[in-house]
Amino acid sequence: MTPPLAVAGTAAFGPAASTASGAHDVLLQVIAVSNVLVLGYFLAINTGYLTLVVIAAGDFVRHLRRIPFAGYDDASASPFTLPVSLIVPAYNEEAGIVDAVQSLLLLRHPSFEVIVVDDGSTDATLDRLRGAFDLVEVPRVVSTEVPVRGAVESVHLSRGGPVPLIVARKRNGGKADALNVGINLARYPLLCMVDADSILDSQALLSISKPFSNDPLRVVAAGGVIGIANGCTVVAGRVVRVRMPHRLLAKIQTVEYVRAFLLGRTGWSRIGGLLVIAGAFGMFRRDVVVAVGGLDPDCLGEDAELVVRLHHYLRGTGQDYRVVFVGEPISWSEVPETLRVLGRQRRRWHRGLTEVLLKHRDMIGNPRYGRVGTVALPFYVLFELCAPVVELAGLVLVPLGLLIGAVDLEFLWRFLLAAYGYAMVVSLLSLLAEEYAFHRYSRWRDIGSAVLGAAAENFGYRQFTAWWRVRGIWDAAHGAPKVWGVMTRRGFAARPSEEDR
Amino acid sequence: MTGREVINGSLQVLVGSAVVLLVLIVCVRAVRRARERHRQRTVEPLRVLLLELLCAEGDEAAGSLQALSALDDRSWAAVEPTARTILAKVSGHARTSLVGLFEQRGVATRAMADLGRRGSVRKGRAAEVLGLLRHRAAAPRLRVLLVDADPEVRTVAARTLGHIGDPANVPALLNCLHGPHPVPPAVVLQALTAFGAAGHDQVATGLDDAEPLVRAVAVETLGATGGVVWTTRIAAALRADPHIEVRIRAARALGALGTPAGLEPLLDAVRRGQPEPLRVVAARALGRLGASCAAPRLGELLDDPVHRVASTAARALLHVGPTGRDELRRAAGGARGVPAVAHARAVLAEAAIGEEGPRSAAGPAAVGS
Repeated sequence: MTPPLAVAGTAAFGPAASTASGAHDVLLQVIAVSNVLVLGYFLAINTGYLTLVVIAAGDFVRHLRRIPFAGYDDASASPFTLPVSLIVPAYNEEAGIVDAVQSLLLLRHPSFEVIVVDDGSTDATLDRLRGAFDLVEVPRVVSTEVPVRGAVESVHLSRGGPVPLIVARKRNGGKADALNVGINLARYPLLCMVDADSILDSQALLSISKPFSNDPLRVVAAGGVIGIANGCTVVAGRVVRVRMPHRLLAKIQTVEYVRAFLLGRTGWSRIGGLLVIAGAFGMFRRDVVVAVGGLDPDCLGEDAELVVRLHHYLRGTGQDYRVVFVGEPISWSEVPETLRVLGRQRRRWHRGLTEVLLKHRDMIGNPRYGRVGTVALPFYVLFELCAPVVELAGLVLVPLGLLIGAVDLEFLWRFLLAAYGYAMVVSLLSLLAEEYAFHRYSRWRDIGSAVLGAAAENFGYRQFTAWWRVRGIWDAAHGAPKVWGVMTRRGFAARPSEEDR
Repeated sequence: MTGREVINGSLQVLVGSAVVLLVLIVCVRAVRRARERHRQRTVEPLRVLLLELLCAEGDEAAGSLQALSALDDRSWAAVEPTARTILAKVSGHARTSLVGLFEQRGVATRAMADLGRRGSVRKGRAAEVLGLLRHRAAAPRLRVLLVDADPEVRTVAARTLGHIGDPANVPALLNCLHGPHPVPPAVVLQALTAFGAAGHDQVATGLDDAEPLVRAVAVETLGATGGVVWTTRIAAALRADPHIEVRIRAARALGALGTPAGLEPLLDAVRRGQPEPLRVVAARALGRLGASCAAPRLGELLDDPVHRVASTAARALLHVGPTGRDELRRAAGGARGVPAVAHARAVLAEAAIGEEGPRSAAGPAAVGS
C-alpha cells in the first residue's frame, strides 16, 4: 500500500534542463529514469491493492447477503461440528491471562478445549491461572509428534468440574515452540491459535471453523480478522462497544488494519493466494500441521511461515487444498501507541517476512505452486518486501533531484499529492467497504477519526515504517539476534468511559 | 500529453474519487441509521402483540394473530426478523402460533415460489425460512436444490430437509453426497439423524452405495440413531470396506451402538498393522462399548508406540468400569512397559481430579513417544 515518495524528473515530464555538462546530463537522465520507474512502481503497488480491495468488497457483499442462511445456529448445536483445540501461548501475561481464558471458555461452539502454554514466564502467569481455575498438576504424557525445544515441566487440569482447560508449563523457547507444545497436547482435529492478549467475539470460533465444515476435505487453514481494541470497551471478556482509538498512531493503524488485513487478505483469499494468517487468530487442521512439522521456532514470522510451508508441502505433494480468510469473526488486540514499540513491531514483522521469502525462495515465480507461486509470492517480494526500500530511495532522490535541478518543485508537490491521494483513495474505499459490510464503528466521530487516520498515515507514518522495515530486512540479511521485544499494553477498559455513555 | 498534464488530470480524478467515497460513507451510515431507527419505532409496539401471541392459550391468540396478520407490509418487514429469531428458539404452542402467523402472512407461499426462481441468495433464504416453518410441501423443490450449482444453497437445502423430518427425503440426501462437490457430510449427517429410527431402512440402503462418502455417512447415521439391527452390516463395513473413512466411521458407530456384536471387529481394528486413525477411533469405541472383556486388549495398547493410540486406550479403560480401572492400576504399578506406566498414571490422576475434589494428584510431566 505504501506509495513511494518519488518525483518525475524534468527530463521526462517537466521543462528540460538544457545547459548541463555531460556528467550532469547523465545524472539527470539517471534520476529521470529512476523517477519513471518509481512512478510506475507507485502506480502498480496502489493499483494492486486497489484490485484486492475491490475483490474483497465484492466478497463482503456476497457474504452479507448469505448470512441469513449460514446455519450458525445449527452448527452451534450439532454433535457433528468438528471439535477445536484452542492454543494460547503465554509469556508473562499475569495481568490479563485469567480474563482471557475465562472469555475463551465462554465461546459459542459445541466442542472445544483451551490449552494454555506458559512459555517459562518469569511472572505469576501460572499462579494466576492456578488460583482462578483451581488447577492441579497431572502426570500427562505429552506427545512428541511435533518436535519442541523447551521441555514441558508440568501439565495442569482444572479441578472445578468439566472445564475444558489444560495448562502446560514449559521452559522458555519462544512463541512458536509454545505453540508446538500446544499442538502436541491438542486432542481435537482443528487447532485454533490465539494470542493470550486477544479477545474473541463470542461467534468467532463458529465462524472461523465454518469453512472446515463446508469443505472438510480441502480447507486446511483459515485466518480471522484482527480488530484493534484500543479505545474499545471490554466487559466480562467481550468487546461490547467498539470505538476508534484516542491516539493518532492507533487511529492510523486502525485504517491500516482494515485496508491491509481485512480487505487485503480477503482479496488474497478470494484469488487463492493467501500467504499470511495472523498468529493472533488462525485455525488449522491438526493432521496437516503435524505433517509439516509444526511451527518453525527459528523464524520470527512463524505464523506466515507456517502458511507458506503448508502451500509448499501441499502443492509440492499435488494435494487439492484451500487456505481461506474469513472476514466476519474478530479477534481484538491492542496495537502499539508509541513509535518505539511500533518500530520494534514493524521491524520484527518485516524481518519475519524477509526470512519467510528467503526460506521459500524456490516457490517464487514457480508455476508448480499455482497462484501462490506466480502471483502472491512475486507480489509480496515486489510490493511488500521491496516497498520500503523503494520508498526510502525516493526520500533520497527527492532532495538530490531538487539539489541538482532535475526536479521541478511545482511538479514535485503535485506528484506527491497524487501519490498519497491515490493511497488515500484506496484507504477510503476500504473504509467504505467496512462501513457497508460490518459498520463496527458506530459513532459519527469515528468516521472522522478514520478519515483523519487515512490522511495522517501519509505524513511521517509511512516514512517511519519504511525505515523500520528496511532495518528488518537488514536484520534478516545479517542474522541479527532474534528479539521479540516487549509490547507495552494499556489494558482493556473494564467500564465504558464517560464519553461512551 | 505532458507529465504535468497527466499529474493534474490524475489529481482531479483522485480528488473527485475521494469526495465521492466520503459522501458514500456518510450516506451509507445515514441510510442505515434511519432505517434502523424506523424499524425500532415500528417494532416497539408490535413486540407486545408478538408476546401476546406467544403466551396466549387456546383461542386467546386469535386477536393478536389477526392484528399481526393484518399489518401493512412495511410493519411486517420490521417485525419479521424478530419473529424469525423467536421461531427458531420456541416449541409447542408458541411455535404453532408463530407458524400460523407466518402462514397467514404468506411467507411460506412466497418462499415456495422463491425456491424456483433464479438467484442463489433468494433460494437460500427461502429454504432457510421453509426449514424454520418445517414446511413439508417444500420437500420436492428442496430435493432439486440439493444439486444446485451454489454450494451454500445445496447446504441449506440439506439442513432444511432435516428440519422438515420426512424420511422420504433420505435417498435424496444420500444422493447429494455423490459427485465432485458433495454437500458437507456433517450437514447431511445432522439432517439424517433428525429422522431417527424412522429413517433407518432408507439410510441402510446407503451401506451398499458405490460412493465411499455415502457409506461412511450411512454407517455413522445408523450408529448415532441407535440402528442396532444393522450392527452386523456395520461390523462388516469395519472389517472389509475398502475405504478407510468408512471403516473409521463404522468403528465409531459400533461404539455408539454398544452391542456385543461390535466387540470382536473393534478388537481386530485396534491391532497393530491397522491404519493409525482407525486404531485410535476403535480404541475410543471400545471404551464407549464398556465391555470388560476389552480391558486386556486395551491394556496391551498402553504400551503402543503410537502416542495417540496409547493415550486413547488409557482413557477408554476408564470407561470400561472396574475391570478397566484394575487394568490401569496394574499398568501403573509396572505390570506392563514403561510407556504404559506413564499413560496409566496420567489418566488415573485425571480421573481422580474429577472424583476426589480438592486432593492433589500431582506428579511430574512425562514426555512420551
